[in-house]
Amino acid sequence: MVASDLILEALLNGLLLGGIYAVAALGLSLVFGIMDIVNLAHGHMLMVGAYVAIFLFTTFNITPIIGMIGAFVVLFALGMALQRVLLERVVGEGIEQPIIVLFGLALMLQSIGRIWVGSDAQATDIGIPGEAIDIAGASLSFPRMVTFAISILLILGTWAFLKFTTTGLAIRATAQNNSAAQYMGIDTDNIYVLTLGLGTGLAGAAGALLSMLFPITPFVGWSYLLKAFAVVVLGGVGSVAGTLVGGLILGVSENVGVLYLGGGFRDIISFSIFVLVLLVRPHGLFGSSGGGE
Amino acid sequence: MLGSTDYFTGLFDNRRRTVAFVVASLALATIPFTTTPYVTDIVFTGLIFVMLGVSWNLIAGYAGQISLGHHAFFGVGAFISAWLTTPARANLPEAIQSPLLVAVFVGMFGAGLLALVLGPILFRLSGHYFAIGTLAVAAIIQLVLEDQRRFSGGSTGYYVQNSMSSEVIFLLTLVATVATIVVSYGIVNSRSGLGMRAIHDDESAASSLGVNPLKYKLFSFVVACAMAGLAGGFYAQFRLYVNPESTLSVTWLVDTLVVVILGGMGTLAGPVLGAGLFLSLDTGLRTFAGEFATVIEGGLIILFIVFIPGGLYKFLADRFGSEDQPSDADQRTPNEP
Repeated sequence: MVASDLILEALLNGLLLGGIYAVAALGLSLVFGIMDIVNLAHGHMLMVGAYVAIFLFTTFNITPIIGMIGAFVVLFALGMALQRVLLERVVGEGIEQPIIVLFGLALMLQSIGRIWVGSDAQATDIGIPGEAIDIAGASLSFPRMVTFAISILLILGTWAFLKFTTTGLAIRATAQNNSAAQYMGIDTDNIYVLTLGLGTGLAGAAGALLSMLFPITPFVGWSYLLKAFAVVVLGGVGSVAGTLVGGLILGVSENVGVLYLGGGFRDIISFSIFVLVLLVRPHGLFGSSGGGE
Repeated sequence: MLGSTDYFTGLFDNRRRTVAFVVASLALATIPFTTTPYVTDIVFTGLIFVMLGVSWNLIAGYAGQISLGHHAFFGVGAFISAWLTTPARANLPEAIQSPLLVAVFVGMFGAGLLALVLGPILFRLSGHYFAIGTLAVAAIIQLVLEDQRRFSGGSTGYYVQNSMSSEVIFLLTLVATVATIVVSYGIVNSRSGLGMRAIHDDESAASSLGVNPLKYKLFSFVVACAMAGLAGGFYAQFRLYVNPESTLSVTWLVDTLVVVILGGMGTLAGPVLGAGLFLSLDTGLRTFAGEFATVIEGGLIILFIVFIPGGLYKFLADRFGSEDQPSDADQRTPNEP
C-alpha cells in the first residue's frame, strides 16, 4: 500500500494542478456554451500560449506569471481573427464544417510549431524565489501554489466579467437567445468574436501557467484538448463554477491515480474518466443544456 | 447539405462510370510490374487512403456522425494482422500463426467487433460529444498499446513477417480497395443507405418516421471501422512494420479527412478523386515545400470546407457534368445498381 502522507501530498498537489486544468478548460467551456462550437484547436492554442511564455522567458527572462499576459493577448487576437475570417462563414451550416475547420487549424498550429521550435520539450521556471510549504507532512511546491492562486484569480475574474459588466451581460444574453439578443440591440456577431477571443486567450494563459509545471512540445495539443474537454464534461458546459469543480476532480484523480498505477497512466486516467462520465451522464455531471445536438 | 443527396450528379453516366472504374482498376494492377518500387509504394499508400476515405465517408458523409477515432481502428487492424502472421515477437503461442489473408481478415473482424462493442456506448453521444468521445477512445487505445510494450513493441515498433511478395500484397490490397468501394456503393444505395442519409439530414424527423437512428449509426460505424481495420491489416503486411506511435497516429485521421474533403464529402467518387489529388499534392508538396507540406494540407482542408464544401467531385460535376443526369435525389430509386 501507498503511505498515507504520500496520498495526502498527491491529493493536495492534485488540487493545485486542478486549478490550472480549470483555466485550461474554461475557455473551451465558454465557447461551447455560448457559441455551440467545440474548439478542436483549443489544446493547440494552449500550446501556442505556452510557447509565447517560453519565448518571453528564455529571451527576456520574463517570468511566465507576467508572460501569461503576453500569451493571453496573442491568443485573444488569434481567436478574434479566426472567428472573423473563418468561423463566421461556416457557423450554422451543420456541425461538420466548424469541426473540420478547427481540426485543420489544429494541424497547422502543430506543424508550424514543429518547424519553428523543433520537437524537443521545453519548459519555463517561475523565476521568483519561494519556498515549498509543509502541510501535515505533505510538501506543496511553490510554483504549484502560485499558479493555483493565479488560476483562481483568472476564474474569478472571468466570472465577475460575465456577471457584472455590460459586455458580460450581452454575452450571456447572446448565449441564451441569439435572436432575442439581436432585438435588444446587441451586435451578436461582435459578441461571438469577443467570446472566441476570450476563450482562446484563456487557453493561452493556461498554457503559460502549465509551462512552469510540465515540459511543452508542439504535440501536447491533443492531450490538453481531451483533458480540457474532460473538465468541461465533468463541470457542465458553460458553467464557470462547474469548470472549477471539474478541474479539481480531474487534477486529484490524475495525481492519486498516478500514485497507484504509475506515471505512464496519467493521460489514460483522465481520458478514461472522461469516457466514463460521458457514459453515465452523456451531458456531463452537472451539465443540463448546451451543444450536443 | 454538403452534397449528401446529389452524388449522382454525373461526371459519367452509369455505364461509362463502370467502364472507367474497371479500366482504372486494371491499370493500377499493372503498377507493381511496370514501375519502380517507389511508385508502387506511393500508389499503395493511395489505395490505403481510398479505403480509409471511403469508409470514413460512410460514417461521416452519409450517416453524418463525425468520428475522430478512425485511425485507432486502422491501427487495431494493423496490429491484429501483425500478431497473427508474426506471433513470436509478442510471445504469443505459435499455434495462432496464420496465413496473410486470414490474418488480415481477422484484423478486419477485430476492428469491426471493437466498433460493435464501443458503438452503443459512443452513440449515447451525439454531435460534438460524439466527435470528442471518439477522439478520446482512440487516444486511450493508442496509450494502452504504447504501454503494453510486450504486444506492441513500444517505441521500437513491431516487425512483421509473411511469406508473400510485395507485388502480391499490392494486388490483394487493390482487390480489397475495389471491394470496399463496391460494398460502400451497395450500402449507400440500399435501404440502409437511405436510413443513414435520413439520420444525417434530420435525426428527429427520421426517428419520427420509424427510422431507428441507433441501428443505422451502429451499422455504418461497424462497417466503416471494419474497412479501416482491413486497410490497416494490408498496411502492416505491405510495410512489414507497425508502431503504436505512428500506426495509430492521428495523422492517419488527418490524411483521411483531407482525402474526403478534397474529393467531396457524402459522394462515393469523392474520396477516390480526393486520394488521387492528395497523393499527387502530397508527393509534389514534399519535394518543394518539405516540412511545410502538413501546414499546407491543414490550410487546404480549411479552404476547401469553407469555399468548396462539395469538394472536387461536386466542383467538377457542376462544371462538366452532363445535363441529362438527374441531379435530384427524388428521381432515383433506392435500389439502383
